[in-house]
Amino acid sequence: MNSIDLKTILNRTVSTGYGDLVTRHTGRAVRGGVEELLESVDGSQVAVIDFGAVGCLDISCADEIVGKLLLEHGGARAFLLRGVTEAHCEAISLVLERHDKAAVAEDRQGQCQLLGPLGDNVRRAFAAVMEDGPTGATDVAARLEMPTDATERVLDELLERRLVQHEAGGYRALTAL
Amino acid sequence: MTRVVEVPTQFDDRSFDQFAKAFGEPDEERLLFDAHAVQWGAPYGLLGLLVAGQNTVERGAQRPRLTIPTDKDVLHYWARTGFFEFAGEWFEIHGRTPRASQSRSSEVLLEITPVRGSDDVHGVVGVIQDRAAAILSGELGLEATATMGFGMALSEACQNIVEHAGTSGWVAVQTYHWRRRLGRRVVVITVADAGMGFRRSLQATQGGRYGDRWGDATALEAALIQGASRFRDPGRGQGLGGIRRYVNRWDGKLSIRSGTARIAIVPSWDDDIPLADGLAPFPGSQMLQIIPAQQAE
Repeated sequence: MNSIDLKTILNRTVSTGYGDLVTRHTGRAVRGGVEELLESVDGSQVAVIDFGAVGCLDISCADEIVGKLLLEHGGARAFLLRGVTEAHCEAISLVLERHDKAAVAEDRQGQCQLLGPLGDNVRRAFAAVMEDGPTGATDVAARLEMPTDATERVLDELLERRLVQHEAGGYRALTAL
Repeated sequence: MTRVVEVPTQFDDRSFDQFAKAFGEPDEERLLFDAHAVQWGAPYGLLGLLVAGQNTVERGAQRPRLTIPTDKDVLHYWARTGFFEFAGEWFEIHGRTPRASQSRSSEVLLEITPVRGSDDVHGVVGVIQDRAAAILSGELGLEATATMGFGMALSEACQNIVEHAGTSGWVAVQTYHWRRRLGRRVVVITVADAGMGFRRSLQATQGGRYGDRWGDATALEAALIQGASRFRDPGRGQGLGGIRRYVNRWDGKLSIRSGTARIAIVPSWDDDIPLADGLAPFPGSQMLQIIPAQQAE
């Protein structure tokens, strides 16, 4: 499985005529469809949720899909939100703020950003990992001109929130297998 | 006995309290809604009229009468909004109603549309995104992203009915050129229902926190400012906050009336007050969102 296409799930679980993710009712149905697919995916894989064909996303639906997926499964696996628009990000950010959660979102040009209530240093460290590829705490600390121990704490927060991945000797961006 | 409920000649959000006062508390008399002298009726007023009719019928009173405007332009505008498609269910209409024009009016982005469930919200959002994109970005000068945000604000407003009213409601979206009031074009979302209102909806989860202060005004504050919900799910109660943020971003106005109170997010171009309490009671809730054209910097 490369990614989970929300439009396909929307059309399968709610109605073939819909292109927007709106209402809690729809969100619950779509989340159920996502969870069915997740059961067949190894927990070590990044779950890529594809918003690329989604039109409008309202807050209620964002809460049912992104909010509840992160609350219920975010401790066990990493999620990457792909194909999001600026309007999607606004709705998702509100939801993440409410639940004190964070997520990596990739826009339709392939640019990644962090969504959610995170500090500046966490965002800067994330940007450094994204730009430099697999990298260690010492390199990130040098780049950000921060003490190494403080940088390690920030990177650990990214890791704990499953916003980056760990590999031998360093950290790397979330990538789908 | 018949009691006459006079419909204000300029029937919009600013004269609505006058209408609510005339509607008054339920009694045994048959109601006659007299709109013959109306010179202008915005969807806020028209949806309020439908709510008054629905409320009267649903509490078992005799179906009220409605005398329609004598001004032909006003009458045709009411027809173009789709008002008469629904008015017949709640009123005995006196006067000849025009047939709704087949061609849609450019000022009516969304005709008065019933909201009963999730499918209706999907329909409304789908229609409005097709119709509103050109107006929002072209005529109102909003960024392209505003169109999607507009769909979100509309959807959350409609869901307020689905999730909280306990009955159906209506939505309408119009665009106007407010030459005197603002000197700019605006797009206006109006949503109304004859349901239980904010105070009753939030009573079980929020009422105890407020004690003697609990009422329509505190219920509106709890919902709009604090994001309170009648559901215990911590993800609930974000919809109105999202609308508030959207309206703030585009220098718009948000107003919600429920029971005897009205709360508003008031932009600099409007002279409304943030919170009005002790108004004439009116059933359900009425929400108004106004997004003005952006001024060139």
